[in-house]
Amino acid sequence: MNQFVHEDLPCGIELGVLPLPRRHVVGFQIRVLAGVSAEPPDKLGLASLVEDTLDKGTEKRTGQQLLDAFDAIGAGVNSGTGRETTTFTCTALPEHFEKAVELHAELLRTPTFPQDAFDVNVDLARQEIEGLEDDPQALVDKYISRRAYGPILGRHTLGEKQTLAKITRADALDHWRQNFTAGRMIVSVAGALDPRRAADVFQRHFDGFGSTRRDGRAPISVEFAPGVSHHPKALEQEQIGICFPGVDADHPEFPTQQVILGILSGGMSCRLFTEVREKRGLVYWVAAWQETPRGAGMIFLGASTTPQRCDETFATLLREVDRLSEDIEQTELERAITGIVAQQDTRGDSTRSKCSELANDLFFYGRPVPPEEKTAKITAVTVEMIRAYLAGHPRDRLCVVTLGPRPLSGSPALTRHRGMEVSPQS
Amino acid sequence: MIAGTLKPSTNGPYTLHTLENGLRIVIERMPDVRSAAAGFLVRTGARDEVPQHAGVSHFLEHMMFKGTKKRSWREITIDFDLMGSSYNAFTSEERTVYYGWVRSSDIARQIELLADMMRSAIPPEEFETEKKVILEEIAMSKDSLDHLTFDFLQEKVFAGHPLAWPILGYHETVAVLSRDTMWRYFQERYAPDNLVLIVAGNVEPNEVIDAARTYCGSWPASGTATRRTPPVMRYGVDVLPVDRFKQQVVALTFPSIGAAHAQIETASALATILGGDNSRFFWNIVQKGLCTRAGAYHLDFTDSGFMILYGVCQPENAEPVLTAIRTEADRICRDGVQPHEVASVKNKRRTSLAVECEAPYHRLGQLMDDMEHRGRPRTVEEMLAEVDAVSVESVSHYLKMCPVNGDGHLTSVGPRNWPAMNQ
Repeated sequence: MNQFVHEDLPCGIELGVLPLPRRHVVGFQIRVLAGVSAEPPDKLGLASLVEDTLDKGTEKRTGQQLLDAFDAIGAGVNSGTGRETTTFTCTALPEHFEKAVELHAELLRTPTFPQDAFDVNVDLARQEIEGLEDDPQALVDKYISRRAYGPILGRHTLGEKQTLAKITRADALDHWRQNFTAGRMIVSVAGALDPRRAADVFQRHFDGFGSTRRDGRAPISVEFAPGVSHHPKALEQEQIGICFPGVDADHPEFPTQQVILGILSGGMSCRLFTEVREKRGLVYWVAAWQETPRGAGMIFLGASTTPQRCDETFATLLREVDRLSEDIEQTELERAITGIVAQQDTRGDSTRSKCSELANDLFFYGRPVPPEEKTAKITAVTVEMIRAYLAGHPRDRLCVVTLGPRPLSGSPALTRHRGMEVSPQS
Repeated sequence: MIAGTLKPSTNGPYTLHTLENGLRIVIERMPDVRSAAAGFLVRTGARDEVPQHAGVSHFLEHMMFKGTKKRSWREITIDFDLMGSSYNAFTSEERTVYYGWVRSSDIARQIELLADMMRSAIPPEEFETEKKVILEEIAMSKDSLDHLTFDFLQEKVFAGHPLAWPILGYHETVAVLSRDTMWRYFQERYAPDNLVLIVAGNVEPNEVIDAARTYCGSWPASGTATRRTPPVMRYGVDVLPVDRFKQQVVALTFPSIGAAHAQIETASALATILGGDNSRFFWNIVQKGLCTRAGAYHLDFTDSGFMILYGVCQPENAEPVLTAIRTEADRICRDGVQPHEVASVKNKRRTSLAVECEAPYHRLGQLMDDMEHRGRPRTVEEMLAEVDAVSVESVSHYLKMCPVNGDGHLTSVGPRNWPAMNQ
């Protein structure tokens, strides 16, 4: 039985700790509740720029000295900007835990945003936007996110060239001052340490860090835009992306949705792999997955294939989306459930996985959720619950994005779905 | 044959055992975890192919999931999923690996399933369908700048050697490959004396050995020896102009040491100091705005190794990026490295080893490396001792042995035909 500790520290941080005494490392994750959705509409790319520049200099150290300090304790550090959060992760040996927290406090609380480093990061972001053109799957993700989520949550992390050009160092400072506060921080810790010590260390190093008000927790509205769009590009393969709305992580039907995704894409015996790849040899990769910003859920399907086979691949994908409600078998339901539960168990042997799972629990549910509770919800899913979910969430409004040498032809499969008017090419 | 002979032993954290047919078994008991991972290491890969059959190892890896005397492809995947296994397979130049990570109570079932797959029927009726999948994978690799660059680099640097062709093979070789050819290759390369069964996790070693004896004990040995010749690196400049990409990759390759060499941790440390996260390339090339990615990668095989220094940049920046890479390479060869740089790399490596050693899946990967390159597993303490042995002096010694400041081989891939090949 896992003994979670969950508390709101006086400094404003919401902290979750999972002590794992027999492990040899400690992992922690800091989620600052400010991602691309917190950017002003004319300053897209700002959140990522702030994240990239935070560690390029503090009041005490240059950027290189700061990274050297992390290296001196062997800490594995990483950061990333998402739709709703900016995340900092760290793995360290237990004896270096406090120093690792102290260094994170230094970069989050006292960054100097040196002008030269800021200018370089703006230029690197511009180069990365151009480089994105060389990554077909990332491009599809960019295009489909825009249609799936609308103008706020659908923003791309890198922003746009035009908006990047308008961002100044003063904007970065403003964004940091407004959004980087202890009240906007969710912290998860897992590994070989005493929870009291974890709480003391975070309280000590983040005491007085901006407002303690628990901001940034309201869901952001989603504007789903069904339709078909094609983005011409000289590629060997056509990339296909499909999405439709699902339920959010806190919805009572979320476990049912997880099992449905398991049936569609959980292992090699799943429907998509079986029908698209194993029976027809249409693709090398095909998958379905979900994204759940707070208060929303979106189901995605993706595949890539050579252009002459993209219509057949698309039709096969759509058939599987339609077929879901027709013939769910008890055996595939059981396999999907087993897959989710077993993989939760095996991945539990990784401290980093446990830390990340705890951060998700705090973010979505506002509390640590014991694995037993998750398992119970998954194992309670029945064929009837799946049918009820599918009846209550018809998949007749799809967003389809293709990228490659040719658009989809006027497939009959397309016209069966409402809202499938073809958008102008972009 | 993998170097070294395993003697039955339960010394240290391992149990080592060899069945009469030559199948070696390595078991690491990890009592503090709830899961276990099992895998077959097959010592065969792209460099064991003949050029006209390039890609057969990888294609065979796919076919191993397609059916046995006992199971259809559908039953194989269903049986994996009934355990909730995290499973897959991959092929490299030197090995093909099949693995599954399950709850420890399912480890005997996992071994049975993997063992059944190792006696594949390579069903003829599935052959052409799976060939289409492989051809899609080849097409997909051509849409990746990194993949395309690496294949081109190997083709040029190892020209005339089996390391020159891509692991996936070519469209031309895969399209005409027959099931009979694959079957012969399979019979030759998948005999038990060319396989190692590796298991890590919360398991009872005797139960694993019993399972292996039951499921693998009757396999006949082939006695086929693996004959590999070390590659001779080709120097020079090779350019692949590809209009449809926006970025240019420039890469310098230098000869280095193989994965089994005593100084391999030093070579890896040098790559991190030059091109890791907080490295000379990061601060002096990326953070100068010259390109978004610059790094150093140590490509190692059992008998040889290569240091690759690269940058991914806008095409017009290719010259300054290459100059900056050469400047850093010259400087490190001339002045060596600083004690704090070595200490940083060692500290990070210690943490990453601690992370890798806690989960059976990651430990399985480490044991696979050891068995392939060294013919024996290493304890975590042994790995840490090798990390501890890295020093300013060892880096200096390595750089004298394997300098990175000569001409090397230059690969350039992207929209620019640079350096112009008619110069």
